Amino acid sequence: MALSRTLSPTLSPSVRKSASLIYHFAERESKARYKRSILGWFWSFMNPLTTVVVYGFVFGVVYGAKAPPTTNGNAENFGLYLFTGLIVWSVFTGVVNGSMGWLIGVSDLRKKIYFPTETALLGGAAANAVQTLLEAVVLIVIMIVLANISWTMIFLFVALTQAMLFGLGIGFIVSVFNARYRDTQYLVGILLNVAFFMVPIVFTPDLLDNPSVPDIARILVEWNPPAIFVAIARDAMYFLETPQWNHLLAATAWATITFSIGWIYFRDQSMAISEEP
Amino acid sequence: MTVGSIRVDGVSKKFRLERNRPSSIKEAMLRIGKKSDADDFWVLRDIDLDIKPGSFFGLIGHNGSGKSTLLRLMAGIHRPTSGTIDSEGRLSALLELGSGFHPDLTGRENVFLNGAMLGLSRKQMAASMDQIIEFSGIGEFIDEPVKIYSSGMYVRLGFAVAVNVDPELLLVDEVIAVGDEEFQRRCMEHMNKLRAGGTTIVLVSHNTTLMSDLCDTLGWLDHGRLMKLGDPDEVVAAYLAHVDKGDNTLTTHD
Repeated sequence: MALSRTLSPTLSPSVRKSASLIYHFAERESKARYKRSILGWFWSFMNPLTTVVVYGFVFGVVYGAKAPPTTNGNAENFGLYLFTGLIVWSVFTGVVNGSMGWLIGVSDLRKKIYFPTETALLGGAAANAVQTLLEAVVLIVIMIVLANISWTMIFLFVALTQAMLFGLGIGFIVSVFNARYRDTQYLVGILLNVAFFMVPIVFTPDLLDNPSVPDIARILVEWNPPAIFVAIARDAMYFLETPQWNHLLAATAWATITFSIGWIYFRDQSMAISEEP
Repeated sequence: MTVGSIRVDGVSKKFRLERNRPSSIKEAMLRIGKKSDADDFWVLRDIDLDIKPGSFFGLIGHNGSGKSTLLRLMAGIHRPTSGTIDSEGRLSALLELGSGFHPDLTGRENVFLNGAMLGLSRKQMAASMDQIIEFSGIGEFIDEPVKIYSSGMYVRLGFAVAVNVDPELLLVDEVIAVGDEEFQRRCMEHMNKLRAGGTTIVLVSHNTTLMSDLCDTLGWLDHGRLMKLGDPDEVVAAYLAHVDKGDNTLTTHD
């Protein structure tokens, strides 16, 4: 059983080793999340649900934002419009924010024993994926109850995968920064707050058609990567349309390129983590 | 490379001293442009070793001579600043107190985690679980979080895992000294058994008598340099002669 510690490409034994570590970290993340809580996984539904209700009330009722009409008119509801966008957004931010904590969480261990550190991030992401899947099931069930259903719904999972890969790519980079300078987590938190309003989640994109909105803002809001993932998910789940091909293309490119850059950077830098105080 | 060998080739390791390191982005920004007063500390300099399969290799030296760092480099925890370290075979290491244990997990969970890190499946670990519990003498504490363990229990469980995963390479730092007399004896017995089975063992200790008894090759490190390598008795004699001159009082960094 060869265990090569050089940064050589992964061989089959080390892939198997990584797989069991990823499983371990995923299990630990899932368990730790609702440790000592009576209702456990129930909370994972409460969080998005309250967000949808509160935002739906504030933007849908107080500000009177209209949900765009759906093809069959069955699911015309601002809360559902929101939920669809939010589920994609939260998988992205969950992985970006989470990766910083996941890396810090194993850094003490990594100072005492060698293991591929990326497994901690991949494991955390896997736990997030399971949670997201549960949320997606809730959304799909609601849509089925409302008879807003079509084969295009499978594209929701495409959008979620893209959002996750994109988030992991960024997570790989910021987690290394954060291991060095804890300022990173605060900075990332603020940037994500700003970014949230750059993605049409609590507002509809047609709001930007207002002539007072500068072109550059319109382009940024329409073509930033999370906005594209959200657009794909909405087409798939809410409008029940096949997502635009240029969206799919751009989203896939953003996801794979960001993930690859993050991965390469992380593989190069992660050995130094054991030397952080 | 043959299974069970470790080759250390021109390895140097530099650490940056903590006091000179910026801890926030702001501080790092303020440093830009200023001449860095970073005091790099060379823990190891140009180390060459060729550890043969099945050998029992010992490292001695004063506190802060770089023994532990060298062991950590062999274990893949740190990357050498220059030079290369290659090893072949399943490597198991017991480097310090609580080596590779997560304080919040129970002893049993930690055993599985350690197994996963060594590339062993849950099934394989489950098969040797009883043996590990028995060897460590942890008893029912195996299902308690390791943070409540005494230092002796930590080491006993750590050693039990390290030796019961069928290692081809075993790295052991001074830790065994924490256990009681009986446990130390069992450790020695077990290491001899592993050695008889062909496991390569690298041991760090200050106990020169023990080292010349156990090892077939000994290396003496002093301030990060390999002073002497070879026959244990000769190396120990040279080391003790050096200590008797009293050059190494009050050196730190371990």
